[in-house]
This record gives sequence, structure tokens and C-alpha cells, in this order.
Amino acid sequence: MTRTVVEARNLTVSRGQTPVLSDISFEVQEGEVFALLGGNGAGKSTSLLTFLGLLEPTSGEALVFGKSVQNDIASVRGKIAYLPEAATLYPHLSAYENVDYFLSLAGIGRSRADVEEVFDRVSLQQEARDQHMERYSKGMRQKTAIALALLRETPILFLDEPTSGLDPVAIDEFNRLVTNLAKAGTTIVMVTHDVYGACQVAHKIALLRRGTLVGSFEAKNGERIDTETVHAAFAERAVA
Amino acid sequence: MSVIRNIAIDEWRYWRRSRIAISVLLTGLVLLVGSAFLTAIQMIDASHEREHLQTEAENAFLNQPERHPHRMVHYGHYAFRTPPPLSVIDPGIDAYTGNSIFLEGHRQNSAMFADRQASAGIAMFGALSPALLLQILAPLLLILMGYSAITREREARTLDQMIAQGVTSVQIMLGKGLALGGVTALLVLPLCIASVLAASEGEAVSLIAFFISGYALYLLTWCAAIVLSSTIMRTAGGSLGALLAVWVIVAMLMPRVSSTVATNIVDAPGKIETDFAVIEAVSKIGDGHNAGDPAFTALRANLLQQYNVDSVEELPINFRGVVAGAAEAELTDTLNQFAEERMRVESKQVRIARYFGWLSPVLSIREFSMKLAGVDLETHHRFLRETEKLRFDFVQSLNKAHAEKMTYLDDAGRSGDPEAEKRTRISTENWKVLEAFSFEPFPATDRVEASFNPLAKIMLWLIAILLLCRTIGRRAL
Repeated sequence: MTRTVVEARNLTVSRGQTPVLSDISFEVQEGEVFALLGGNGAGKSTSLLTFLGLLEPTSGEALVFGKSVQNDIASVRGKIAYLPEAATLYPHLSAYENVDYFLSLAGIGRSRADVEEVFDRVSLQQEARDQHMERYSKGMRQKTAIALALLRETPILFLDEPTSGLDPVAIDEFNRLVTNLAKAGTTIVMVTHDVYGACQVAHKIALLRRGTLVGSFEAKNGERIDTETVHAAFAERAVA
Repeated sequence: MSVIRNIAIDEWRYWRRSRIAISVLLTGLVLLVGSAFLTAIQMIDASHEREHLQTEAENAFLNQPERHPHRMVHYGHYAFRTPPPLSVIDPGIDAYTGNSIFLEGHRQNSAMFADRQASAGIAMFGALSPALLLQILAPLLLILMGYSAITREREARTLDQMIAQGVTSVQIMLGKGLALGGVTALLVLPLCIASVLAASEGEAVSLIAFFISGYALYLLTWCAAIVLSSTIMRTAGGSLGALLAVWVIVAMLMPRVSSTVATNIVDAPGKIETDFAVIEAVSKIGDGHNAGDPAFTALRANLLQQYNVDSVEELPINFRGVVAGAAEAELTDTLNQFAEERMRVESKQVRIARYFGWLSPVLSIREFSMKLAGVDLETHHRFLRETEKLRFDFVQSLNKAHAEKMTYLDDAGRSGDPEAEKRTRISTENWKVLEAFSFEPFPATDRVEASFNPLAKIMLWLIAILLLCRTIGRRAL
């Protein structure tokens, strides 16, 4: 018996007078990987920020475990780990220090061994872990941010363009990680413009164009969503 | 609470790893410690020197040989204002008003030997008192340390990451504020060290604690303003620009505006104008050196009637001494009217300038600091009144001796008769009319009470900024 974990119910979000999301609705079940696919400016990141309570809906509702984000933001944030598009970590701190600090803000204590284990899972080089992040490549910063999200061990993971800047090997590792997390019961909502990557891991894909949902795809019988089909729809409806 | 503490600790970690922040903080601390050290040496030295000079002046007066009492009236005496203990932190108006007065008959001299008139070289550095640095420079240091506290997070998008961890906007503002509070504690530290010196010089410990608390409250007001600016401004540059503009207005412009407005509203007559008015008023008073002056005709008649004699030579007292005393009393009365009028004008101007404390916490902390340290205008006015009383008392005591210790004939004929001149020289015992002078600041309770008003202004600023943080700041995050 699955339950709905993340739900957009006729969600509309405007920035000033301009609507960024228009009346979108979707549901994500527990343990599912849901990919919101769209081009630049489609409203993908706006969706995530609304669920994080960083933006207010103009109308409709963003629900997490059936609770309105706007009404119970503190409890909702405790259930979501968020990986922003550009790994937003402190350049003057090491990977260890960044992770330790943000976890402390979330009220979570993790041992050095736990952190090491997650760094190993995201393949962050051992020798880099104590260096200040100003020396990190974009990929290394992204891995650290992913590690932070994983270390929070929340039931929901929000990923904003998670594979951006990663090399192909790291992307494959990341995809495996996402699949394993979902199998372990973590619900994952990712926004991306990477059709191939989304089809590799997602159980559901929704196409977003100028703030409106224009198509959806679902994996059936344990098979992956067909990349060609999504790509064609993306090219036709999302980018056109 | 641990989240707030962690945010503050992280801010300090950022500062420790930032060369600019470390340089700013070290520069400020070196300046404050250096200034506290130099000012303390200067004021303690001045205090001991003035005490010594006061004793020397009293001894010099008492050790004068037997002579005519009126010569002692003109020999005069010095009164020194010993700096109060807290002047090691805030010398106040001591440096501008002068610290000693020459007291003599027939004159009210103004205070002299102000540091600003005598300063050269090192004394100019001494002008950078710890109080001035804390009032003007410390807010600037806090601005440079904290202007980007939140804008930096916003620009780097780490703010979103923080919020995503479940941190609330209030926790972020409090955390950043706590970090700046730590800087405040460091800046106040030299003040605490200097306060130990003040305590050892006899200042009440409770008053010192109140004094330090006032400064801490003032700097925390700046911390709150910095956090507010960093919260509502979109960029670090915008935040720095806004804070510097506020600093220039409240720390540089408002003190100038307040004094200009005060002097324009309450016009003070110039020195030359006053001097002419004094000369004109004094010219209407009889000459105390001339017993035959028509101004004393009535006095003579009264005395002759009182003692039932026909001439001043027959009086049991020396009429010339009586005239000297009467003339001095009348002259002093006239001079006091001018002095009181000048003090009234100065007080009114200062009162108007102090209203600007509602617009500038810098003016409020200045008033608070000078009142508590006992180096404000009111204290200076009391010094002038006390020294004038000292002057009048010893001059009149000498005039009394002039009237009672010699005959009219000897006194009037002493310039042509060496024997008469000898008889008009009175015993040195008579010089003991001089009271030992020691100027003390107002009692601690009075000073604390007087400082409530400026402290209330600072508290109002703090409350207003905190309310803005609560409303505008929370929305901006």
C-alpha cells in the first residue's frame, strides 16, 4: 500500500504579476522517483522552491505528507533534503566542515565514520575532503552537496539539476544511488532538462512548458520510461 | 538555541579565515587598546599632577610672609579640577574647557590650560579617547565586519541551503546578530580593562558596570541595524552603501547639525560684546580701592550712624577694608549675573543639541557617557560655581581682616609712613582663611539618574530596529 508523499494541487505561483507556474497538479508516491522535465524558464526550480516554502503559491496547494507547506513549514522542512542546482556550499570550508555545519543547522549529528561512508558512496576523493571547497571542481562540490542531502536521511529528497556538472562516471554512480535510495523507500523529486538521465531513474516524468504541465509518462511493469518517446515529446512540446 | 549559536560560530569561522575581517578587527582593537592605554596614562598623570599643583598652590598661599591683606587678595590662588576616575575612558569636555582657574580679587577669570590649546604631538593622539573610538569608530568596524552577514549567504545561495535545513529567518538573524555581539564584546573589552583603573581610582563599581552596559547596548543597537540592513538589502554592496550612509548621517552629520541648530536657536553673545557689557556694568560700581568714592557715601553714613561717631577715623573698624569688602560683594554680584547668564545660554544650547539624540544614537551615547563619567557641561558649570565661591570666600575673609586688623589711619598713611606700613602687615595666621579645594563629580546615584534619559533614547532605537527586523526582516528572508 503506497501513500502520496508529495502533491501539487492546482498550484499556481507568480513572481510579481507574471505567473511562473499555472494550475499544475501531480502526485508522487512513497519510494517513487519523480522527474519534472522542462527547458530553461519552464518553472521547474520554482516548483521545488514552493515545496520548500521559499516561495508562496498564488493559489492551489503544495502538500507534503498531506500537510500544506504554507501551514506547517517547520515540519515539512524536517522531512525534505534539498540539493540546489549550483552546489551552494561555503568555499572557505572543507567538505567535512560544510556537511557538519549544515547538519548541525538541521539538528542532526553524524559521526565522522558516517560522513566518510557517504563521501565514499558519492565517490568524493579522500584527499579532497579536508581541503577548502574553493579548490573543488563543480563536480566535487556537487558530490559534497549530494552527500549532505543523503546524510540528512529524510524521507524525501529534492534534487535540482542533480547531475549538472558531473562526469559520465559520476552520473552513472549518481543514478545508481538514486535508484537504491528509492528502493529503500526514499521519495525523490528531481527537476532536470536531462531527458536521458530522467528516463534512467524516474518512475514518473512530467513535462513542464512555461509553467504548465504538458505531458506525463510513467514506467510500467518495472521497465524504464522510453527515452525516445520522452525526447520526442520534450522536443515537440517543451522546447517548441 | 544551538542553531543560533552554530550560525554565530560559523560566522566567526568565516571572519577568522578572511584576511579583511581579521585586519579590520585587529586594527580596531589595537586602536582601542592603544587609546585606552594612552588616555589612562594621560588622565591618571593629569589627576596626580593637578592634585599636586593644588597642594602646592595652597602651600604657596599659606607660606606667604606677613603683609597687607589686600596684597594677598591680588596675590591670588589657583583651583584645579582633578579629572574624575572615568575620564580615563571619556575625558569629555575637560579637554575643551580648561582645568584650572586663577582666583583673585575683583575678577572672575575663565578656566585655562585646556588640552586642545596646549596639545602638540602625542597629545593629539590622546584626543582619540576610548569613548570617541567606541562612539564613532566601533560602529564602523561592526559595519565592515557584518554588512554582508546575510547578503553574502543570499548571493552565494547558501541562504536557501540554510532555510532548507529547517532554519528559520529569526534564527538566521539572531545567529548573525550573536556573532556581531561577540565582536561587540571584544570591542568593549579594552573599556573593561580601563574601567579597572577607574575603579582603582575610586569610582563606584556599580556605576562602572552601568557605564559599560550602556556602551554595550549602544553597540548592540548598531549590530541590530547591521543585521537588518544585511537582511533587507539584496546585495552586499547595497547593504554596505546603506550602512555607511546611515553612519555618516548619525555619526558625522547629526552632531554638527545639532550644535549648529542649537547655536542658531539660542544666540550666545560674543566674547568682545560680553567684555564690553561687563566693563560697562562694572564701571557703575564704586572703586573698592578708593574709600572716598561717592558710591560709598551711604555706606559711610550708615557706619558712622551705627557706631555713633563723626568720622571714619573714629570707627572701631578700618573703613577702607569695609569698602573693599562691599565693593567686592557688589562686583561679584554683577559678575555672577553675567556668568550665570552665559551658563544659562550654554545649558540651553546643550539641551537643544541633546534633543537630536532622538535622531542619532551617537549623540545619546555621548551624553550618557559624559554624564556618567562626570565630564559634562553641568559638571563644568558646578566647577565654575564652586571655584567662584572659593574665590569670593577667601577674598572676603581677607577684606574682613583688612577691616578688623588695622586702623584706618595706618592703612591710609602706610605709603608715606614706614612704621604705619609695618603695622598694616598682618600675621600669616590670617592666610589660613583659604579652604582646601577638591573638586568631586556629582554623586554616583545622581549621575546614573541623569543618564537615564540618553539611555532611554538608545533603548528606543534598539527596540525600533528589532521591531523592523521582526517585520520587514522576516519578510525579506
